[in-house]
Amino acid sequence: MLFNQIRFTALHAVPLIILLSGILSFLLISQAVRELGRIGATELIGRLMVVAIVRELGPLFTALTIAGRSGTAIAAELSINKALGEVQALEGMGIDPVQYLVLPRVGGAIVSLLGLVVLFDLVAITAGFLAALANGMSGPRYAEIVTESLALRDVWFTLVKALVFGGIIGIVPSFHGLVVRGGPTAVPIAARQSVVACIVLIFSFAGLFVLVLR
Amino acid sequence: MNDVPLRFEGVRLPDWPDGEISLDVAANTAAAVLGSDNSGVGVLVSMALGLTAPSEGRVLVHGQALAALPDREALAARRKLGYLPSGNGLIHNLSLADNVALPLRFGTDLADGQIRRRVEVIMAQLGLTAFASLRPATATVEQCRRAALARAVAFDPDLVLLEQPFNGLTDRAAAELLELARGGELTAGSRRTVFVTGAYLPPLLRPRLETRYRLVRGRLEPDEG
Repeated sequence: MLFNQIRFTALHAVPLIILLSGILSFLLISQAVRELGRIGATELIGRLMVVAIVRELGPLFTALTIAGRSGTAIAAELSINKALGEVQALEGMGIDPVQYLVLPRVGGAIVSLLGLVVLFDLVAITAGFLAALANGMSGPRYAEIVTESLALRDVWFTLVKALVFGGIIGIVPSFHGLVVRGGPTAVPIAARQSVVACIVLIFSFAGLFVLVLR
Repeated sequence: MNDVPLRFEGVRLPDWPDGEISLDVAANTAAAVLGSDNSGVGVLVSMALGLTAPSEGRVLVHGQALAALPDREALAARRKLGYLPSGNGLIHNLSLADNVALPLRFGTDLADGQIRRRVEVIMAQLGLTAFASLRPATATVEQCRRAALARAVAFDPDLVLLEQPFNGLTDRAAAELLELARGGELTAGSRRTVFVTGAYLPPLLRPRLETRYRLVRGRLEPDEG
């Protein structure tokens, strides 16, 4: 069950994350090399890469993507379980619906976010390397600037964010899915409410992290 | 008192405050309470499982009121019962075989291989071997009902609760399902105690249910039909 969730949430989302991360990083670093080069501040590319992409945009973009993709699926699936009487059937058989339906999804979302954020950042750094090359910066210089700027605490901040965002994506849609009343018409409502709640919470926590994880 | 597998003691239904239900379902018998949708018959099994509390009175399963137990203990007590819910309650994203395996995975310590073999045997008994990999949405009403019954009796419980088990079935299929729920015959009666609720009971099955009542305005009346 947990493996199925990880397969759906993480493995199936890999191409999308690679595409988003690659394009975002390529655009950002291309512009940065050009603009910062004019004022002789290309050394700042490393900080830009680490602070903007690895620490902030990586977890944020990954979480928003997975909230839209898997969060809605979780809410829809659980609301169907509820609307069709499957949740009551589980309770009647002595199976805890939280244990059977919710925990694997929360666990799957957390593990998936951790993996996908790391993937996003690795692809971003690689795409930034290509962008730097395309804009006239030498590859070794780019690598040197980025590695100098990247500290262990940046990695930890990123992973803590992935952990929290993963928890949000697992818990919030599960809650919205399991509290629906009525028939199948409640399914799209639950999906919409869950994705809105996820986006609001993810942005709120992203703001909070800026204040707390200085 | 503990020898009675299922007992309704002065139970009042929320919609029928003047009525009262008192009923003992004796061991090794099959009993049915029939009634229309608005009679309240739909909540009797839910009350037995402790998922719905009666507004007055209590429902005892083997002398224990499941509604009064803490959540964990109530879940553990329910795992000893067979339950076929109204609408089958099959998990839509699992195959019929995986649905049957579900209570075995959560209610027993059996290894995967043992569960698989047990499911194969039960599926064969219910005539579902060829349909084991179907999802509920692609199976027929009868196949789904058979799978739901297979799930209910998967770990051979001594008390089986069936909600509207015969809706949409032919009399022949309904009779076959009731016999499978009874689990064979002992000198004392059926091997399992069976409690059926619903709106419809095929005439062919009446002799196979030792006790039959009709729920009218919150009270039980003998079913003479």
